[in-house]
Amino acid sequence: MGKYLVKRIIILIPVIICISIILFGISKAMPGDPVRAMLPTTLKEEQYQAAYDAMYERLGLDKSLPEQYVRWIGNLFLGEFGYSTMYNRPVKDAVAEPLKNTIILNVFVNIFYLIIAIPLGIKCATKRGGFFDNFWSVFSLVTYSLPSFFLALSLIYIFGIKLGWLPMGGMPNTSILAGTDLYLSWLKHLALPVITLTIISIAGAIRYVKNAMIDALSQDYIRTARSKGLNTKVVVYSHAFRNALIPVSTIIVGTLFSLFSGSAITETVFTYNGIGKLMVAAVNQRDTQMIITMNLFFSIVSVASVLVSDIIYGLVDPRVKLS
Amino acid sequence: MSKKNKSTFGKFMSSFGNMFKRLFVKDKVEKDLLAEEAIMTPAKVILKNLVSNKLAVIGFIGFVAIFCFSFIGSQIKPLSLNYTELTNANLRPGRNYLKYPKELDSKDVKEIVSGISFSAAITEDGKFYIWGTESNRELENVSTKIFNVPAEVYENKIVDIVAGGTHILAIDENDNVYGWGYYGNNQTIVPDNVKKVFEDPNVSIKKVLAATQWTAILGTNGELYIWGSSQAQMNFLISSKTQGRIVDVVAGDNNMALLLDDGTMTMIGDRGTEFYLNIPENVKNGEVKIKQMAATNRNVLLLTEEGDLILWGSAENQLNVMPEYEGDIVAIASGYKNFLALQDNGEVVVWGSTELGQNVLPEDADDLTEIYGGYFQFYGEDSEGVLHAWGNKGYFFGSDHFGRDIYTRIIHGGRISLTVGAIAMVISTIIAIIVGLTAGYFGGWVDQALMRLADVFSAIPFFPIAVTLSFIMGNKVSQSNRLFIIMIILGVLGWMGLARLIRAQLLLEREKDFVLAARALGVKQRNIMSKHILPNVFNMVLVNITLGYASSLLTEAGLSFLGFGVSEPTPSWGNMLNAAEQATVIEFYWWRWVIPAVFVIAAALCINLIGDALRDAMDPKANER
Repeated sequence: MGKYLVKRIIILIPVIICISIILFGISKAMPGDPVRAMLPTTLKEEQYQAAYDAMYERLGLDKSLPEQYVRWIGNLFLGEFGYSTMYNRPVKDAVAEPLKNTIILNVFVNIFYLIIAIPLGIKCATKRGGFFDNFWSVFSLVTYSLPSFFLALSLIYIFGIKLGWLPMGGMPNTSILAGTDLYLSWLKHLALPVITLTIISIAGAIRYVKNAMIDALSQDYIRTARSKGLNTKVVVYSHAFRNALIPVSTIIVGTLFSLFSGSAITETVFTYNGIGKLMVAAVNQRDTQMIITMNLFFSIVSVASVLVSDIIYGLVDPRVKLS
Repeated sequence: MSKKNKSTFGKFMSSFGNMFKRLFVKDKVEKDLLAEEAIMTPAKVILKNLVSNKLAVIGFIGFVAIFCFSFIGSQIKPLSLNYTELTNANLRPGRNYLKYPKELDSKDVKEIVSGISFSAAITEDGKFYIWGTESNRELENVSTKIFNVPAEVYENKIVDIVAGGTHILAIDENDNVYGWGYYGNNQTIVPDNVKKVFEDPNVSIKKVLAATQWTAILGTNGELYIWGSSQAQMNFLISSKTQGRIVDVVAGDNNMALLLDDGTMTMIGDRGTEFYLNIPENVKNGEVKIKQMAATNRNVLLLTEEGDLILWGSAENQLNVMPEYEGDIVAIASGYKNFLALQDNGEVVVWGSTELGQNVLPEDADDLTEIYGGYFQFYGEDSEGVLHAWGNKGYFFGSDHFGRDIYTRIIHGGRISLTVGAIAMVISTIIAIIVGLTAGYFGGWVDQALMRLADVFSAIPFFPIAVTLSFIMGNKVSQSNRLFIIMIILGVLGWMGLARLIRAQLLLEREKDFVLAARALGVKQRNIMSKHILPNVFNMVLVNITLGYASSLLTEAGLSFLGFGVSEPTPSWGNMLNAAEQATVIEFYWWRWVIPAVFVIAAALCINLIGDALRDAMDPKANER
């Protein structure tokens, strides 16, 4: 297992380097003058030029591109992500709160996602061709064709406006509420975004679990188990499902991580203060350092998801260790 | 053998032809049992599976319908990109603005007035009629409905009516004023001091006027009373010298022209407009005798006793340019941006804005004796008493915040969205095929390098990078070129999955027995590739193209929704939904977000149905007997 892991990480290193180069290129291509953004606007003209030159040098813009790249990477390792013009504070500090919110949102979505998608997928596979299966096939086809913002808007319209049960968006007011009220408010604000993201993400998952189960159920060892007279439940859950888990686990890990970057639209519609909304706001406000940091963050998350799904693949599939 | 030589593309095309044949022409030849068992080519099996799949047929028909709607529709219905008509903003769906009750044809019509989205009429015997669509103004917990007509209006004999943009005032023979509709500025509620004036039996109401923001009543005592928005009240200050001497008045939103008892004319309202400033000297000092007055929002038209027309005001829509006409003018009327003049031969001259069909008269309307106008709807009564209507018929899917027709924008937006999605998908498919085939064919370090490249691209999260790139590129290119940028971004970021699939499939097929057999027979390597392996890969590519098309449609919609895709004023289904970021739009103007979304969903669903059915049809396991 250790060897396998090291091998996977080694393969990922050139990928990470390539991504960092691409992001560095993007940061260089950003419109706007990074030096001017760092300078106070109150400076007089002759002072301004001097301050400009000083800042230009401090940011290392007089160096060659490869040198700038190395400096940039070095700063990243030191935790220096630059300065957010949108929040007037270091990017590092500005990201903390939205990141926490997004993680909270994703934890809820992931729980529902797993609870709903796996049993449904299994049931669709065992009752293949029946009403239940057809219903969920149509459901997943429709949700595949549903833009997430439309689902979000419809939920806002029904539950936020017409019924008035849930807030239309926004965040719980932490300065007023405390204790149980705060938790209740959290739940209310989370409800619609969680429903939206869960519905959008389970469509693919149900289908995937179903196909994996169908493949597993058509194997010879299942026929053997059945002919031995084993209980159907035992056949489905301990013979077929365990084997179906191999492809399912990797795809599920991928989906879980992709929620981070995929929730941008949903967070924006619900004005949920997460990193997806932060990303969109940063682009709208032309906060270049923030945009680059966000892209970097999402890339790291996605590389990590590749690694994690490789590890899980190694864990659940004994054949991997052998090779 | 001849069939085998057909190109794959030819097979593909003929399969669609067959599909149609099967759909609409019944197979007359009885199939015998044995023939049914005969071996069919893969394309035929796929086709048979497809046609027997009802969902696929529905999806195919649906997609063709949406495609024709957008592409043929956009040829028929032109779109002027920069057109705006703020007066008509946020109107709900309705095409009945001009559908007056047919019984009016047999009645003696006294007056027809129009608001933004409705018209009302009274007959000589005092009966009241109203038609059109509910106005766009909504107030919380307040009934502002224009069709919520007070019962008294139907009971009493109505002698005069007037329509502002979103409200109506009706006056009965006893000088009672009934107002209803939007009253955000109290414009439907007659102030008490005005009511008191007309309680005097010697003073009665001579004329009522209304605009969106205000209402005014001119009494027979020569006094004009104006109420409504505070802005209008400040704007329209009548000096004590003129008050009491007014015999007639016409108005735009911000100006009024008052005709005084000595034949002179004076202006009130906004002093900076051409309406106010450009009044001809001979009108001002009363040298001409005025028979009839009409005003649009920014222009004034006078008909003199001699039958001459006098015109002044803003050059907008060329309203200040007198059109050519023959014969004598007997009557004039005005809309919001149009003037109408009725000639003595029964024909009408219209000038001003033409965007809503104001100048398109019905063909049989050549014998008119009376004309009426208001906002964008016009009516004429001919010598037999039959009404003719023209102008703004209404909006099939409502209008947006700039007063643009959503129906037209849906058609053109569909053309853009479908094209952007298709080209993005073509770009990504071409890249995927090149990368996948190269990697699968050459193998070795080429394969390794290309797959690592795919790794890099798929590790970069799609949405953030698409938004970022759209931001960077969008700044550097012109508005119209942003469309291409979006296509390229979507295409370049979406090829990895398909490239990997093609490579994997290629490697898989290469090891199969039929390839070995072909090689043993001495078939050239190139031919093995193109004739034996590629057709098998092609099936999978086809499925991926359809499913990828649906997802690139949705991605374009998502990007445009956030404002990073196709940018205004070019419509796309996605950026039409952009408005739904405001809560008021979600709550009140449902047609502005539901309708474009329904089209996106319908298109994506139809394509997904086809793709899904294609996948099922090509799945060899599903074809087992």
